[in-house]
Amino acid sequence: MKTKRFLSVGLCLVVVMLAFQPVNVIAQKYFSDPQFKVKLDFNRWHDVNELYADMSRLEKAFPKFLKLQSMGKSYEGRDIMIMTINNPETGPEMSKAGMYVDANIHGNEIQGGEVCLYTIWYLMENYGRIEDVTRLVNERVFYIAPCVNPDGRQWFMETDGGNARAGHLPVDDDNDGLIDEDGPDDMNGNGIIEQIRKYVPGQGNYRISATDKRNLEPVAFGEKGDYILLGEEGIDNDSDGRVNEDDKGGYDPNRNWAIDWQPNYVQGGAMDFPFQLPEAKAENEFLMAHPNIAGVQAYHNSGGMILRGPGAESLGEYSGSDVRAYDEIGNNGQRILPFYKYMVIWSGLYTVHGGFIDWTNDGLGIMSFSNELWNSSQYFSSPDLLKEREDPNSPISGRKSGSFFDDKLEFGDQYVDWKEFDHPVYGKVEMGGEWKKFVGRIPPRFMNEELCHRNMAFTLYQADEMPKMEIGETTVKKIGDNVYRVWIDFTNKKVAPTITAKAATNNVVRPDLITFDGKQDIISASWISNKESFDYLNPITELIDQKQMKRLMIRNGHPGKTTRTLQYLVKGNGNIIITYDSVKGGKVTKTISVN
Amino acid sequence: MATLTYKKEAIVIFRNIPMYRRKLIFSTLLVLTGLFCQMNAGFTQTAGTYLNYDELTKAVKAFADSNKDFAKVESIGKTAGGREIWVLTLAKAGQMPVAERPGLLIAANFEGDHLIGSSLSIEIARYLIAGYATDEAVKASLDNHVFYIMPRLNPDGAETMFTALKTGRKTNSSALDADNDGRLDEDGPDDLNNDGQITVMRVKDANGLYRIDADEPMLMKKADPAKGERGEYSIYPEGLDNDKDGFINEDPAGGTDINRNFMHAYPYFKENAGRYMVSEIETRSLVEWMLAHKNVAMVMTFGESDNLIVPPTSRGALSTDRPLDLIQFAQAAISEASRVGMVSEGGRGGRGRFNMGDFTRGMSGPAAAETSGRSQRPAQTAATTINTSDLEYFNKASEKYKELTGIKTQPVLRNPEGAFFQYTYYQLGLPSFATPGWGLVLPADTTRRGARGGAQRPGATDTPTTGGGAFTMGGGGGGRSAGGGAAMPGAGAQQDAGSQAAGIDASYYKYLTAAKINGFVKWQTVKHPEFGDVEVGGFTPTEISNPPAEKIAELGVSHAKFALYLSTLYAEIKVAKTEVINEGGGLFRIKAEVSNEGFLPTALRQGVQARSVKPTMVQLGVKPEQIIGGNSKTNFFQALDGSGKRQKFEWLIKGKTGDQIDLKVVSQKSGTDLAKITLK
Repeated sequence: MKTKRFLSVGLCLVVVMLAFQPVNVIAQKYFSDPQFKVKLDFNRWHDVNELYADMSRLEKAFPKFLKLQSMGKSYEGRDIMIMTINNPETGPEMSKAGMYVDANIHGNEIQGGEVCLYTIWYLMENYGRIEDVTRLVNERVFYIAPCVNPDGRQWFMETDGGNARAGHLPVDDDNDGLIDEDGPDDMNGNGIIEQIRKYVPGQGNYRISATDKRNLEPVAFGEKGDYILLGEEGIDNDSDGRVNEDDKGGYDPNRNWAIDWQPNYVQGGAMDFPFQLPEAKAENEFLMAHPNIAGVQAYHNSGGMILRGPGAESLGEYSGSDVRAYDEIGNNGQRILPFYKYMVIWSGLYTVHGGFIDWTNDGLGIMSFSNELWNSSQYFSSPDLLKEREDPNSPISGRKSGSFFDDKLEFGDQYVDWKEFDHPVYGKVEMGGEWKKFVGRIPPRFMNEELCHRNMAFTLYQADEMPKMEIGETTVKKIGDNVYRVWIDFTNKKVAPTITAKAATNNVVRPDLITFDGKQDIISASWISNKESFDYLNPITELIDQKQMKRLMIRNGHPGKTTRTLQYLVKGNGNIIITYDSVKGGKVTKTISVN
Repeated sequence: MATLTYKKEAIVIFRNIPMYRRKLIFSTLLVLTGLFCQMNAGFTQTAGTYLNYDELTKAVKAFADSNKDFAKVESIGKTAGGREIWVLTLAKAGQMPVAERPGLLIAANFEGDHLIGSSLSIEIARYLIAGYATDEAVKASLDNHVFYIMPRLNPDGAETMFTALKTGRKTNSSALDADNDGRLDEDGPDDLNNDGQITVMRVKDANGLYRIDADEPMLMKKADPAKGERGEYSIYPEGLDNDKDGFINEDPAGGTDINRNFMHAYPYFKENAGRYMVSEIETRSLVEWMLAHKNVAMVMTFGESDNLIVPPTSRGALSTDRPLDLIQFAQAAISEASRVGMVSEGGRGGRGRFNMGDFTRGMSGPAAAETSGRSQRPAQTAATTINTSDLEYFNKASEKYKELTGIKTQPVLRNPEGAFFQYTYYQLGLPSFATPGWGLVLPADTTRRGARGGAQRPGATDTPTTGGGAFTMGGGGGGRSAGGGAAMPGAGAQQDAGSQAAGIDASYYKYLTAAKINGFVKWQTVKHPEFGDVEVGGFTPTEISNPPAEKIAELGVSHAKFALYLSTLYAEIKVAKTEVINEGGGLFRIKAEVSNEGFLPTALRQGVQARSVKPTMVQLGVKPEQIIGGNSKTNFFQALDGSGKRQKFEWLIKGKTGDQIDLKVVSQKSGTDLAKITLK
């Protein structure tokens, strides 16, 4: 006993000593990458508690930058956690454009949660090591919510994964006055809801596929097979004569937002009114309290898409200037994300009324993308293999490819084979023939880190292209007795405008303000057409027709990749302080000496 | 009724007494009338005044306190201004739980200035409670049905009607930067002529769009260049340019017009519509209440919309809005305030050193946003006209309404975009009625005169109003067309008013004159700091939306009778007939007929279409395995028309002679019924 305790105490000491030993004291020299401060795994799927625990570890490790908070509670009382990444030394949150990233609004679309976690981790571990990452963290604020439907995700992780798309607001799917009373049942307790088949030699309508023994196929007209299918694993829990007809869910959390919201009979799953879902309400309250947010990414799965709005054709295409900015980012996204296509929701995917990114784009004036993570072409991704798949005799063509991949790369881990089972109603049957829940919409675990990194890279690119105002060159020229001409260049080198055309049309973002702090009288203010040729060619100016010259409003903001020159004609000399104040493009100030 | 008359007289006397005495006398009166009224309503307010929040609160509480058998008062929510939104539940407790009885919701005063609605709903409550002892129809309705009365949905807005300065504000008190200039409520109205009324200003302006109406010099009309007319005036709301931005009263106190905040035909981003659908405490509370009270089978709202004085057209469209041009002209002067500061893109201001570089659409790589080639399902859209199958019910209600109230001509009305009663029909599938609760009484010689001030549209004439064209979705709020600049004289022409409907100024003015209502401030010249001499005048806010308070009692009775009439129309589900045939061998045939004894169908067509009214359930109380043939144990039907229409059911079951079997019918809006069947 004593020796044992002594040993364990000693072991603890060694561990403690190792942990506190600074790396450079270790005599032996290593040539590997620098050690990470927080070790996280991106090759396994986290449930909600694990996700939050990892976020909490990150917050503790990087307390200067990270702030973990709850946006509100889900229907079942789970927190909807969001991480704010901000460097306080470079200014308060509201002075910098914010990039809002969320995931997993559909409970079963889980891998976005890992992408979010990866993003926080990557930005922190590489701050101070990679110049671009350091700059981004210094210039921007990130708001990252890995799981905005924690009830759905937890349900997906805890159960067989069926019906986890929605959250858990009670919905009476079968209109019998009872709620969620008859879902499937995991009768053999293996965590998977399987298919049930019965062996009926020569009397069935299904037979085992000749090319892949895992697959059942329907027999041709006039022929007989050896199997019949009896539906999915479950019993008639509510004795109404139907099996599994009222499971959890029954609505769509991504149809409960306030642009183009349509009643249930037009848009299934919309619920009764926008922001009825506590999760959507909480998220919206957070967004509305953070007007500095200038970019949104909402991760979904799957199909390999970089989606933007509008969600319905009836909403009409965005105006040219917005499309131009979206196209620039979307097209580069296709280069960052092989197998992903940049598309508009309604024409590329399907019509969505009341979707999240329509709300953030139209209702909040935020440039918004939604990536559909994972494209099944990535299973066999080389050009040669993609070509081979077109040959029906190839073992990786069609449905066979799934079996091939599972056999040779996952070692059969993803498929549940048929096994005999004594069913209380159907008698002797076989259950199985089912892919596990992580197959199809979710990448193989070993491929997830690449998915995380590439999607993060696209989102960081979008974050980098959020508007950022600068005041450039200023020129003062005396043009009369005590009268001066002042030119000021305002530049936004980024792709996104400070205010999108949609935001300006809907009047949902406060106009940019140019304030003039000086004792001069302003005779006029105007936008000039071309500074370089102004003194040689006919000067063209666009007079600014506003009453308050010392507080100019620019309602449609400053476009991307553009410099505008503002001309003041002023009477009087002395210093003036010019401020460009944009809700999403930051606030910049310059002092100009006029004399 | 005797006490009512007494109180009416009392208030007339009351008006001639100085304010400081009034309170004392009033409280004495309260005690006295309280004693008088213990027999019936126990409601001590008079019907001759409009009630502020405290008075209204006292009134509904007094109802509940002295009529515990009938009345219960609760709050559905508390506004940003800290006021409760009351709901009065009127039903005599009995065998059928109140929550399962067909209910009529009467909701009022969504628009802050529409006080008449809250007064009428209070009068309806008074009538029903007082009538229980004496009126058979009232008794039957309170015994079998339930009335939910919400007299004031927008107490914050309504309260501004009781301040010294009348502005006619419709909105609630949520924060709104109306012109989106980064400053909150910085430019509200100012009473330039110190008459306690915010009206309009007309200013001589050679560039103005308006001129004095030759037919009625008190009124203004738009100059018609086709007739060689020139504009001589500009028109503005009464006020100063407090924030010196070139616009007058473009950002007053107040936030959302809650009858523009519901989910049907929601006017996205239009003036006072709210930040988004159901964004307000008032609207969200009401929608949540509706979802929790699925027994509500009918809705009647008082507000600035109508489908009772003028029923929907044969195509299911509502009559047009009936604005006042004078108000529209003034509003048009500030409609551009929220457009100031647009810089033309790509134009003179938008060029720059990056402009012609590599950032142009044509050079930005592959074609924009590819399509998948996937076939699209045909676009489905929400209904925007009343289903023609439902029209007869609207027509019938309208006929009866006009008969009972005698109202023939609609007063000032607005386009019901985002209005509550539209939501309850289109999305909840309920028969939903809307009325301003009063009408214009016009001298006989004004019939068949055209509308003025703009293109004539059906429904906007001086005649007793009849069905008009459909609303155009672009109408209503201030048009936000392109253009900019300040709207001072000389700074460019004013924008046209947003509404496409013609104003009813002339007929409304005739009504005021004929009824001797002090509802128009005659133009008077005042000095304005920006404009110099201006004339202030025009329609007064309270009178635009409300009849004189003396009318409350009379209108209250007729509307109570109408509400009572509506409660006789409910669908009523019954097991009309059962029959048992012994087929021998332990087999029995049960035949049953379920009928709808009421007038309305168990669900309107729109209720079926919107899947919002639950199908009626017919359930035979046997074990599933007892049923050998025929119908299932549990059956549903979508809708059954009224006036005795029947639905037949037939079962073959195993059983024994003497077995008692329940046949249960459950309908969401039409009650439940139970029949006991004995096998023999």
